[in-house]
Amino acid sequence: MINHPLISVVDDDESVRESLPDLLREFGFTAQAFSSAEEFLASDYIDQTRCLVLDIAMPGMTGPDLQRELTRRRQEIPIVFITAHGDETVRPHMIAQGAVECLFKPFSETALLEALNAALQMS
Amino acid sequence: MEVQLEDPAEEIKRLRRCINDLVSVIALPAIWSGSEPAEMVRTLLDVLLGMLHLDLIYVRLEVAVNKVPIEMLRVAQFRGLTAGPQEIGELFNRWLGDDPQTWPPLVRNRIEDEDMTIVPLRMGLQGEIGVIVAGSQRADFPRQTEGLVLSVAANQAAIGLQEARLLNEQKRVAGELDQRVAQRTTELAAANEELIREIAERKWAEEALRTSEINLRQIVDSIPGLVCTLSPAGEVIHLNRQVLEYFGKTAEELKGSAFTDAVHPDDCPRVLAAFRNSITTGEPYDIEHRCRRADGVYRWFQVRALPVRDTNGCITGWYVLLIDIDARVFAEDAIRASERDLNHIINTIPVLAWCNFPDGSNEFLNQPWHDYTGLTPEQAHGWGWQVAIHPDDLPKVWDKWREHLVSGEAGEVEARLRRFDGVDRWFLFRANPLRDESGNIVKWYGTNTDIDDRKRAEEELRRNEAFLAEAQYLSQIGSFSWRVATGEITWSEQLYRIFEFDPNMLVTLELIGTRVHPKDMHLLQDMTARAQDKAHDFGYEHRLLMPDHSVKYLHLIAHATRDRDGQLEYIGAIQDVTQRRHSEEALGKARSELAHVSRVTTLGALTASIAHEVNQPLSGIITNAGTCLRMLAADPPNVDGARETARRTIRDGNRASDVIKRLRALFSKKNPTTELMDLNEATREVIALSLSKLQRNGVILRPELADDLPLVTGDRVQLQQVIMNLLLNASEAMSGVDDRPRQAIIKTEGDEGDRVRLTVQDAGVGFEPQDVNRLFEAFYTTKRDGMGIGLSVSRSIIESHHGHLWATPNDGPGATFSFTIPRASESVTGATSLGAIQAPALTDAAPVRRKA
Repeated sequence: MINHPLISVVDDDESVRESLPDLLREFGFTAQAFSSAEEFLASDYIDQTRCLVLDIAMPGMTGPDLQRELTRRRQEIPIVFITAHGDETVRPHMIAQGAVECLFKPFSETALLEALNAALQMS
Repeated sequence: MEVQLEDPAEEIKRLRRCINDLVSVIALPAIWSGSEPAEMVRTLLDVLLGMLHLDLIYVRLEVAVNKVPIEMLRVAQFRGLTAGPQEIGELFNRWLGDDPQTWPPLVRNRIEDEDMTIVPLRMGLQGEIGVIVAGSQRADFPRQTEGLVLSVAANQAAIGLQEARLLNEQKRVAGELDQRVAQRTTELAAANEELIREIAERKWAEEALRTSEINLRQIVDSIPGLVCTLSPAGEVIHLNRQVLEYFGKTAEELKGSAFTDAVHPDDCPRVLAAFRNSITTGEPYDIEHRCRRADGVYRWFQVRALPVRDTNGCITGWYVLLIDIDARVFAEDAIRASERDLNHIINTIPVLAWCNFPDGSNEFLNQPWHDYTGLTPEQAHGWGWQVAIHPDDLPKVWDKWREHLVSGEAGEVEARLRRFDGVDRWFLFRANPLRDESGNIVKWYGTNTDIDDRKRAEEELRRNEAFLAEAQYLSQIGSFSWRVATGEITWSEQLYRIFEFDPNMLVTLELIGTRVHPKDMHLLQDMTARAQDKAHDFGYEHRLLMPDHSVKYLHLIAHATRDRDGQLEYIGAIQDVTQRRHSEEALGKARSELAHVSRVTTLGALTASIAHEVNQPLSGIITNAGTCLRMLAADPPNVDGARETARRTIRDGNRASDVIKRLRALFSKKNPTTELMDLNEATREVIALSLSKLQRNGVILRPELADDLPLVTGDRVQLQQVIMNLLLNASEAMSGVDDRPRQAIIKTEGDEGDRVRLTVQDAGVGFEPQDVNRLFEAFYTTKRDGMGIGLSVSRSIIESHHGHLWATPNDGPGATFSFTIPRASESVTGATSLGAIQAPALTDAAPVRRKA
């Protein structure tokens, strides 16, 4: 497990849930995908998750909502936000709120890998 | 006496002279006959003085007139004796003594320093008649002859005087007798005359009496009244002819009981009672009753009877006069009726009426006055009416009233009168004097007319006028009237302020022209030309160029009307819309900025939406592609994994494509609606919508719409967008034109092949012929912020309506854009196949006709 840290992906978009875990595994991580924040919270993977790749805009509980809930539970998991609503003002805001990075879809492998490495160094 | 001897001849002469003297003296009484004693004495003295050459001679008569002695003195002319008769008399008395019996024959003494010999002579035996004293300075005085003459003269004088005295007495007695006789005779004559006169008078009186009686009878019979005489007991004695004729009865019949039959039965008891009363008491009889005329008609009479009394006051008879007052009674009835009517009128007219005495105090107030004020006649009489006048107005009313009382002229004043319920209403007080024949004021007549409503209306009007002026001031609206025929223009105060003209200036079109902005002068000229041509309401917007080079924007509307003489008159309002225009411009700018922002925002939102929809699959594609490459590059290659990720990549690519499809569907317009429509009507709506903007750009639009234009079928809104696009293009093409009117013509007409044509012709910059095809290209524009799709889209719309849109340059300046579309009968089915044409925003209308 140490060599294969668990990266959890939470996104309501199915194509992201299908494609991103495969790529993460190609990077050498362990990956687990969830279609909503609620599903992630209800799972057993919270404690094992070394980094959370989290979609901002989701039906029901949003990415930031989940971030606040985890903070409340004192689960300090580094978070890399991803979003399809490209807005340059969002990124500084999210980073100020404690995110490691905020990536705009579509993002490159390199950008993702850098963000994950930064996250894992923190944890 | 010394006797001297003398010459005998001388003596003879002397003696002869003496004899002559004696004869003269003796003749004296004959001369004296009938003379008065004083006259006699005077003669005697003169004779003796001359005869005897005496120096003086003095006489005193003892008995003379009124018991006073007469004294006389004669002095010779050469002697300057100064003493008078009385002094001489007294002197002689002293010399001679009181008793004549003892007088010496002569005395020598000095008188006034002259020696004088005086000789006293007594008249009468005892000197009772008087005394004569003769004096001379001669020494031989008196000679014998002289003594003789003197003595004889004294005796003659005594005799003559005595005779004269007797004669006088006799005369006196005879005179008295004559006087008495004459007096008596006069008395008798007077008495006689009186007697004769009395007799004559008596005769005349008797004659007059006889004549008078005859006259009286004649008068009585001929006066136009009925007269009769009664005995003291009331029996009829005489009846004049008129009585007999009126009653148609004989005197005998009337003297009997017929007289009472002649009185109206209803009046009979009253008449008899009054008659008996007068006969009994002797009081005059005066009663009005009806008498039956010969023809049976009863007429009203006033019957008056007066008693005739003798010197003892006893009644000797009655004179009765019957006066026909029938007409008067009717007249009185009429007057009473008329008074009733007048009273009725005065008390029912809807005016407060009154009558005052010459001093101004009240005599009468009509019923409406009392009803209105609630004051009783007793309360209002005299000066009581004042309480009804509003206290604030009373001094004014008083001053005015006094003024009229003094001047005596009619007048009026307005004041409030308090109603019975305490409500004050405005009244007009009017007063007129009534004068008698000599011009003195007898009465004042007046009315109080309720003018409260009028007053209120006046106040309302004043207030409204004030409001209007204030409103005009506040709203920057001035009003005017313009009589076209006379060119007479009336301006409100505010209009002078707007134009910044002196309010005393006479407003003319020329004057107005000095303020109108040079670039808008053609508007004014066009307006006046058309207004004068025929009556129609119109509205314009134009600018003023003020002396300080500032620009004012005015909005003018005018309503055509006819004045009382039927002359054309425009009444209108002009509003200074400079502020509004500036606001509008600011607003328009803000709005276009907003539109831009909105467009950007919308585009931003749209972009975000599109990005989100597209980024999701793109993200999947990139990730899968990356994974795929990694799987293929692995050793050994994960072919199955790569195949799977490649498959996902294709799937996500399709997904992105689907997003674009959905967006196209989202933004594509629904099919246009088609309807049967009147192109003229649609054109008029567009004109109405764009007129303000056209006028703002200084464009004169002249519509020439065909009367019998066929209907068309199409999308009304789309066609209107095309028309508006053409109009705004025309307007913008002329925005730089200052050397000619910015005139545009919009025309509709039937075209060949059952088509309808619409043309918009402008006088703008036009275009070069080689550019004509580019005009309709999309995105061809030189407008800074235009998208240049106006004409392109317009042509699409027209073509979708099976029509054509084209442009031609004018012979003169400007261009003409036209389209034709089929009329309704042909295009009904075709219109249903209108394609998906996106309606352009009007702000995108592109002015594309700049010359290259």
